[in-house]
Parts: sequence; structure tokens; C-alpha cells
Amino acid sequence: MRHALRTLTLALGAAAFGVAHAQQPVQINFWTYYLSPKFDDYIKGVIAAFEKQNPGIKVNYIDKQGTLEQEFITAVSLGSPPDVVNLWVESTQKAADSGLLTDLGAAVGPSLKTLYYPNSLGNFTVNGKVYGLPWYASFNTGVMAYNNDLVKKAGVTALPKTTAQMVAFAKQVKARTGAYGWAPAIKDPQGGTFLGVFVDEGLPLIRGNQAVFNSPAHARVLQSYIDLYKADVIPQDLLRKEAFQLSQELYTQGKLATVIGGPQALNRVRDNNKAIYAASQVTAAPLGAGKVQAGGGMSLVVPKAAPHPKEALLFARFMTNRANQVAFAKIVPVVPTAAGSDRDPYFAQARASKDPIERATGMIGANGANLKTAIPPLKNPTDMFKAFDDNIEAAFLGRKSAQQALNDAATAWNALMK
Amino acid sequence: MFRFLRGAPVSYLFLLPALVLLVVFTLYPVLYGSYLGFTRYTAVNFATRTPPEWVGLGNFRTLAGDELFRISVLNSVKYLLVVPALQIASLAVAVLVNRQLPGIAFFRAAYYVPVITSISLAAVMWDWIYNKDGVLNWLLKGLRLMSPDSNLSWLLDPSTAFWAIMLVTFWRGFGYYMVLYMAGLQNIPGELEEAARLDGASPWQSFWRITVPLMQPTILLCTLLSTLSAIRVLEEVLVFTNGTGGPLNSTYTALLYVYKKSFGGLDFNYGLASAAGLVVAAIALVLSVLNFRLFREGSVRA
Repeated sequence: MRHALRTLTLALGAAAFGVAHAQQPVQINFWTYYLSPKFDDYIKGVIAAFEKQNPGIKVNYIDKQGTLEQEFITAVSLGSPPDVVNLWVESTQKAADSGLLTDLGAAVGPSLKTLYYPNSLGNFTVNGKVYGLPWYASFNTGVMAYNNDLVKKAGVTALPKTTAQMVAFAKQVKARTGAYGWAPAIKDPQGGTFLGVFVDEGLPLIRGNQAVFNSPAHARVLQSYIDLYKADVIPQDLLRKEAFQLSQELYTQGKLATVIGGPQALNRVRDNNKAIYAASQVTAAPLGAGKVQAGGGMSLVVPKAAPHPKEALLFARFMTNRANQVAFAKIVPVVPTAAGSDRDPYFAQARASKDPIERATGMIGANGANLKTAIPPLKNPTDMFKAFDDNIEAAFLGRKSAQQALNDAATAWNALMK
Repeated sequence: MFRFLRGAPVSYLFLLPALVLLVVFTLYPVLYGSYLGFTRYTAVNFATRTPPEWVGLGNFRTLAGDELFRISVLNSVKYLLVVPALQIASLAVAVLVNRQLPGIAFFRAAYYVPVITSISLAAVMWDWIYNKDGVLNWLLKGLRLMSPDSNLSWLLDPSTAFWAIMLVTFWRGFGYYMVLYMAGLQNIPGELEEAARLDGASPWQSFWRITVPLMQPTILLCTLLSTLSAIRVLEEVLVFTNGTGGPLNSTYTALLYVYKKSFGGLDFNYGLASAAGLVVAAIALVLSVLNFRLFREGSVRA
């Protein structure tokens, strides 16, 4: 009898353990980049909805900041990688190149192409394989906010629609008001920014394995910016500070008439100078001869060594689905990249708003299909951007001619691309 | 009863925890870092979980052929010019504030404030000063040392950016060394200076014949610390130039090179960065030896 009881107890115990074990949810680790605590409510809300739909999966949300890349590779090397990671275009390309990421095209199948805009998928495609699901994006030149008081004071009657008109506008604003009219991106520490100017103007960067940004046409474009810089028509600090940061500073102080970029550029203006925000209006950003809208994008990737790749992919798809991307764009002016996002009625309503940020959000939010990264994937981006930037800087500071600077940069690139 | 506690083996036992920490956090990283200097160790090694690949002197050959590394080392060596300026000024001010005068505590605290000011805050402040519409240009124009139409952006001009950043290092380090010198000055017996005064020595003679020789150990310590800080300068350059190394790399220092090669992105190369770190360490070692030599000889003469 005692033996039977013991056997029964053990059997019940084992069954209970088995049930408990079977019910133990799979925990996946999800890393984002610079989103917490500001967007905790949104992210945790999406996670809660996902967990409700998938009771067997728990998501552990961790936000990483400046050291995300280093922590990511360290975690991979230590054998404890996260399951889903938020990377950006260049990082996704580099991580894919280093063999760190899962081929999501193969994992999702042909339906992947119907889920996101082709351009956005293209940003995260390396050697024909998709390594990141497009999450949210932003335009370098999405909209132009302008200080209407300064524009009127300068006597401008028609706002610039092309880069060439923008040059004339900047000269007029500077001459008549003393403020700058334009702060174009010419250099920043993260990349070869001036390459974006060439792309805006429809000029090629690389052909095959050769840098081709040193044609006379490229040199003419560079020279035109150097002339503006030397004449102090554009702020000289652009050579030292990132254009977006400097634009916000100067625009908020009333020393710059326009800010080109996403609506987020106006957040600081609204918080710091109500009068200038009240005088602000929004219009489409001027386009260069290339008529392209360049920008950057964020992806969700699944590391090759992820402990729970199936669950990770399920979550990454949920986080980046159309409904969740559009919901995110309603909180912060990012550009959704899921196919069909532009059809959401919110964007049309926002476009009609009188509030500059809402209007800008409406204008860019529905424009994800046109977003394209300016610079193609590069093998050794840090060294290549450095070589390019150093030469551009030498040209702006008068140490090299525009043509010489571009020739030297192209020589450096060709050596690095070998 | 506790006589056994006085034995030599027990003394070593007390040193053991510190020794373990030293081995784990200093000795091992130094040795492993030195080893990495002779390897290729990149993101691909992390991705494939393969160990660093031995390349012998390959990284050092790469460094020898890298123009940016040459510039960065030269800049770091040039940065040593801050050391004598910093030491002379902080010693002089330490002598001045080492007196019992009404309100002297305010001056001591004021000189120390930059030491505890965060670099990001300092960057904002000095940005206002160095801007082309900034305080420095306004002051120089006011003093008629600069033409009224000049618009020099101090951090943008390759000929001034280096010195502008060095001035910030001077400003930030000055109070720290002043406090160390004050501690040294307070250890000098008052009778010696009193005796010198009775013998008819002027304050200047007293300073040179008594204060400076007796301060020799403190001067050695401060100079050594300051030399090592100068050769390893990074924060100022990183913050003031957004990590770009300044106009035409005029403020690119050796440690910025190490930093960029290690943490510049996913295309990092720990092997090359470690090799560069070894070169910086070797330079620091040579300078330390020179400092010891210089001050030991000075001490004998005194």
C-alpha cells in the first residue's frame, strides 16, 4: 500500500512538473535603440498585445543607447545574444556582412515583399538577402519648416522648391535680414554626409567597384557649396556640427529661416521658443535635380545565434506590422514603412492641421514608399566616410580645390574597396 | 596572543584581496591587450566565435603606414606642451592662495570648480566662448587685439582648434594640481621660511631656495600625472569635435585613434586598436622615465 502511494505521489509530482514545464513561456529578449523611457508606453503596449495573442511567449524589453553595437556583438560572442534587435541601415548592413544575422527573406518567405515598401526592404538587403524588417524611418529632407516672419522680412514671395531656388533664397535672406536662410548637411561625424548632396542632385557615387563621385559635375556641386560657405551664406559651423543639431539651435534663436528634415526638428522649437514656433509654417522640402527623398531607417533583426528564432521572428513581424507602425507614427513623427501605411486616414487629417508639427507629420508620414537611403552598403564604412569627409573638409577650408579633394577621396575609396 | 598575526605570511594574506583585484582588473587586461595588439580581432571573430588571429607585427606595419595615426601621435606629443604651463601656473597660484587672508577660501574653491565641472557642461560653455560671435572674439575686439571685421571660429580653424582645446584642458586641470601643490606647501615647516627671512632672503629667494626644492616630490608627482593625462587626452577632443578629430584632423589624438578603432562602429578592429594602445603606452612609459630622471637630477642639484 505504502509503495503504491509513493508511486502515485511520484507520478503526480512528475505530471505536475511536466505540465508546469510545458506551460513555462519562452522568454525572448528585445533590444531597442534610444527609445526608453520616452516611448515606454507605446512599446510596452505593443508587447502586452503580442503576449496576449501569444501566451507562450514573454518579451523582455531592454533599451540600449550609445553602445548598442558593441553590446550586441559582445553578447553574441559570449553566447547570450538577444532575440530581436533594433538596428539602423548601416549597422544592419555591416552586421549582415559580418555573418551575425538571420536571412529573414528565407525565414518569412515570398510574402515578405508584400508586407513592407520595396525601398525600405532594399535598405536592409545585403547581397540579395533581407536581413532586417523595416520598422520606422525618417527623411533627411522630408519637409521644410520656415520662420514666416523672417521670410517676410527678407521680402521672399515664393518659397524655394528646388535646390537652385534654395541657394537664391538663402542669399536673399542673409543679405536682407542677417539671418541664415539655409543650413544644408555637409558634414557630420557619423557618415559621409556630402555624398547625400550628390544623390539629391542625381549624381552617381559608385559604379561597380569604383568611386565615381569625382566627375566635373560633382566638383561643380561641391564648389557651389564651398562658395556659399566662404560667403557666409550658410553657417560655417556646419563644418563642425551636425546640420540637424545646428539648424535646431539657430532656428530656435531666430538666426535661421528654415529647418529641413522631419517634423521632429520642430519639437525643440516648440518647447524652447513659443514665438518662433507660432511664426513657423511647413511646406515640402526643396528637391535637388535627382528628385529623390533620401532618409534613414530602423530595422528589427534576428541574430543568427538567437536562442528563440521562431518566436523572435513572430514578435519582429508583429512589432513592424502596419497597424503598429502607424500607431507609432501617431505618437512621434516617424515614417511608417509597412506597405499601405499611407492609406491611413490619420495622415490626410494631419496634413490639414494648422499646427506645424501635425501638418509636417501628415506630410511625411504617408510618404514612406518614396524613402531611399542615399548611400549604398559599404564594406568598410567608417574608414571610407572618414577619407571622404577629410577631403571635403580640406576643400571647404581652402586647402584643396574641389576637384582635387574629390579625386583624393575617390582614390582612397578605390583602395579601400579592393 | 595574536603574535601569529605579526608574521610575514599573514601580511601577504592581507595583501591578497588587493592583489587579486590588481591581477584581474589591471595585470590581465594589460597582458591580454598586449597580446591582442599582435592579432586581427574584428566583428567577424565575434560573429563566428573564432579566437583572435595572430598577425605578428602586421598591425604595427598598418599603423606605420597610416597617415592618421602619425598625425594623432604627433598631436598627442604636441599636447605635452600643456604640462609645463599647467604646472607652473598651478604651483604659482597654490603659493598665492596658501595664505591666511580674508575670503581666501572663496578663491581656492573658485579655482577648483572647473575640476568638478562635467565635460559636457564645459563644452557648452566653451562653445559660447570660442564661437565666431562668442565671448573671446568680443573680448579681443574690445581690447583692439583683433580687427572688428574678423570672425574667427576658434574650433573651426586648423591653426587655432588645437590650442583652443588645450586651453580647456589647462582650465580643467589647473585646480586639481593647485590642490595637490597646496597639500605639498602645507607640509613645509614654517620655521625654514622664517629662518630664511631672518637671514635676509627675499620672498623670491625663499621660494626658489626653500619652497621649490622641498616641493620636488610633489612637482614630480604632478608633472607625471599631468604628462600621462596629456598623452591620453580624449574627452575634450571627443566632445569639442563631435568625435571627428577637429578641422583637418588638427586635434586628432592617439587615444581618439584607439577609441575610434575600437568603438567606431561594427567595423571595429580591436587588434589594431590594441596595437595603437601599446604604442601610446610605450610613449607614456618613456615620458615617465624621463620625468623621473629630470626631477631626480634636479633634486640632487637642489
